[in-house]
Amino acid sequence: MAPLARSPSPHRVRVTPAFRPSSLAVPGRTPLAQSRPSELWLAIHLPSLLLDSLRDVALALPGRPPVAIVDLERNGKVVRACEEAAHAAGVREGMSINAALALVPGLHALARDARRERQLLEAVAQRGVRFTPRVSIEQPDGVLLEVRGSLRLFGGARQLCLRLQQELTAATGATVRFAITPTPLASLWFARTGLLGARPVFVRNRDELAARLALLPLDCTRWPARSIETLGTMGVRTVGDCLRLPRAGFARRFGHELLATLDRATGRVQEPRAAYAARERFAARRDLEPEIADTARLGLALAPLLEELCQFLRERGRGVQAIEVQLRHRDAPLTRARLRFVQPVGAQPRHMAELLSERLAPLVLPQPVRNVRLLSGPLIDLQADATELFAHDRRESGENLPQLVERLRARLGNGAVHALACVPEHRPEAAWRAVEPTATKPRARQQASSRSAAPNASSPAVPLPWRGERSAARPGEGRPLWLLDRPEPCDVDRLVLEEGPECIESGWWDGHDVARDYYIARNAQGARLWVFRKRRETTAGARWFLHGWFA
Amino acid sequence: MSVSVEQLLQQNSARLWRARETGSSAAAAVPAGLPTGYAALDRCLPGAGWPRQGLIEILSDQRGIGELRLLLPALAALCRDEGAADDVYPPPHDLGSGGWIAWVSPPYRPYAPSLAAWGIDVGRMLVVNGAGATEWAMDQALRSESCSAVLGWANPRDPHALRRLQLAAEASRSLAVLYRPLQAGLTPSPAVLRLALLGGGTEGLQVRIVKSRGGRPATVNLGH
Repeated sequence: MAPLARSPSPHRVRVTPAFRPSSLAVPGRTPLAQSRPSELWLAIHLPSLLLDSLRDVALALPGRPPVAIVDLERNGKVVRACEEAAHAAGVREGMSINAALALVPGLHALARDARRERQLLEAVAQRGVRFTPRVSIEQPDGVLLEVRGSLRLFGGARQLCLRLQQELTAATGATVRFAITPTPLASLWFARTGLLGARPVFVRNRDELAARLALLPLDCTRWPARSIETLGTMGVRTVGDCLRLPRAGFARRFGHELLATLDRATGRVQEPRAAYAARERFAARRDLEPEIADTARLGLALAPLLEELCQFLRERGRGVQAIEVQLRHRDAPLTRARLRFVQPVGAQPRHMAELLSERLAPLVLPQPVRNVRLLSGPLIDLQADATELFAHDRRESGENLPQLVERLRARLGNGAVHALACVPEHRPEAAWRAVEPTATKPRARQQASSRSAAPNASSPAVPLPWRGERSAARPGEGRPLWLLDRPEPCDVDRLVLEEGPECIESGWWDGHDVARDYYIARNAQGARLWVFRKRRETTAGARWFLHGWFA
Repeated sequence: MSVSVEQLLQQNSARLWRARETGSSAAAAVPAGLPTGYAALDRCLPGAGWPRQGLIEILSDQRGIGELRLLLPALAALCRDEGAADDVYPPPHDLGSGGWIAWVSPPYRPYAPSLAAWGIDVGRMLVVNGAGATEWAMDQALRSESCSAVLGWANPRDPHALRRLQLAAEASRSLAVLYRPLQAGLTPSPAVLRLALLGGGTEGLQVRIVKSRGGRPATVNLGH
C-alpha cells in the first residue's frame, strides 16, 4: 500500500521506504522533522468568546440578570452560550430561547455580534504581536503565535504564558486557554480540550507529539459531526484511535480532508499560516497644565507626542500618510488640524514638527487649549530607497518635490498648490486643468504631456475652430499667456483690434457652451489683450470681455 | 597705522567690484548666465544671460507688454536640458536641469496651452497660491532644490524679507525672479539684477537695466 499523504515540499523531503506507510502515526524521528527548522506554536483559545465579546453590554444591564447569547436559526432563536448561573440551572447550548426562559425566567437574551467577536480576536492578536512577530488568527475563536524564538527572551514557556495571560486579561478581560506544541493544529486541539486544567500543555518535540495527541477526544478536531459519530460507532473516540487506522481506508471512508488535518496536526505535513497584520493606529493625548492659548507654544507641547508617534513607527518599521491633531477647549468644540503627507512618512519627528507648526500657525483658537490628542491614519509600509553611490542631482528626479508640496500645503491649504496639464478642448477656459504635482521620471512625464497635448487625442468629431486668416499649427498659438478666471467686461473703444475674429463655438453638450468671437487687441500702453464679443447678441448691444493678456 | 585707500583696494581686489572693470577681468569673475534668448539683452548682461545665482527683479506696472515672454525662452531651455543630463555624468549644466518651475502667486492663470506652445513642459509647472505668504513660499521653493526656476509676484515692504529672499536665491541654484511694481525701483534692493519694463507705444517692449551686479545700466529695445 502506498502512502497516501503527499509530502509538502517534494524537493526538500524524500519519503524513504522505511517510512511506515500503513499507520497514520509517525513515531520516531522522521526525515521531515530533521529537514525543517522546528517551530513552536502557542495557541490561544477563547472558550467563552461569545460571552466575552458582549461582556460590557451584559455588565451594563440593570439588575445584572444572567445572560445568554442567542443566534437566529431555522427554528427561532437558539442559545449559543450562557453564563455560569444559567448553565447551573440547566440551560445548554443549542436550546431554544423559550426552553431556556422556562428554566431561568430572568434570563436576558443578547443577540450574537460577529463584529464584536472579530474585534476581540484582533485585540488578542494585537497583544500577541508583543511576544512574537508571527501571529495568525484562527477563525472563529483562536489565535496562534509562533514562539520558538521568544521562549528564551521571556524566560521559558511558563513565564511566557503567565505574562501573556496577564496582558490579555488586562487588555481584553477574555477567558483564554493556552497550549504550546510544534504544530499549529495540535496546539489548537490541546487548547480547545483544556485537558490538563489550568496548566497549559507544552510539547517541545515533534517526536512526542503523536503520543500526546493520542489522548485527545475527537471533539476538539471540529470535524463534521457525522464523521465523528461514524467513528464513534467504530469505537474510535480519541485522536490516538484514529492514528492507528490504516491511512488508505481512513481516506476512503472519511475523505482526504480529514486525513490531511491529521497529518498537519502530527507535523507530517507542514501548515503555512496566514500572518496577522495589525490594523493599528497611533493615538495619544496629553493634558496641558497650564492651558495654552497661543499656537506657537502648542508646537512645543506636541513635541513629546510626536516623539512617541515616531517611536511607535520605528518599532513597527512603518509609516503614516496622515496625522490629526485635536485640541480640546473648556467649552468650545474641539479644533482639528489634519496633515496629509504626499508620501508615507516614517519616524521623522523634525519633519513632522516643522509641518505641524506651519499648519498650526494660522489657526485661530476660540479658547485656550486644555489637552491635545495626536492620532495617526492607517499605518503604511515604507519603501526603502537605495542611496546612490555617486552624488546625484536630486532635482533630476524631483525627489524633494513631495516635501516642498507638503510644506506649502501645510501652511497655505490643500488647494493652494497644483501642477498644470493641457486638455484638448476648444473652449479656452477648459483647455487646461490643475493636476496633482507628482514627481515622476522627467522623461516619461514629458512624453505623457506631449501625448495629452496632441489636438486629437481624445476629442472626437469636434472640428478645429476656424481661425481667421491664420491656420493654427499648434493648439497654444494665438493664445495668451495669462488667462483670466472670469472674463472681465472691458471698454473696446480704447483698444485697437489687431487680429481676428477667431470664432470659438463649442460646448453645447455639457451646458457650458460658448459662442464667442475672439480678437487680439492692443491698448494705448502697448499691451496686447485677448478680448471677445459674444455671438448671437445684436451688434449694437454686444458687450466686450477681456479674457487674457499676451504677457 | 594708516592704510591708504589704494592699499585697501588692492588687498580686497577679488571681493571688490569697481565700475571701470567691466572689461575682461570682471567678465571672467562673473559666472556665465543662462541665455535669455534675446541677443540684444544678452549683450548687456554681465554673464551674457540671466544670472544663475541671486535674485532677479522685474519691475513693471503693466500687464500684457511681454513681461513673461522675456523669461520664456530661458524657461523653455530649462525644460529641454534634462534629456541631455540624463545620460551624461556629471550633468553638463550646473544650473538645475529637469527641475520644476514654481509660479508663486501669479496675478492670473498661467495658460497651459500657450506655455506648451512655447516649448515648456506644463506638467512640471508648480502653481502656488501664496495668499500673503508669497516671499515665504518662494523661499521654501528656493531652499528645496527641487525647482529650476522660481517666479514670484509680490512687493515685499520689509527690507529683511527681500534680503532673505536674495540670500536664498544666492544659495540656491534656481533661477529666482521676483515681479514687483515699477514704484519699487525707487527703493534700494539687494537683488543682483533689476529690470524695469516699459511697454512703449510703437517701439515695443523696452527693458531698462536699473541695477546689474558686474554690469552697467542700459536700455534695450526688444520690439514687439
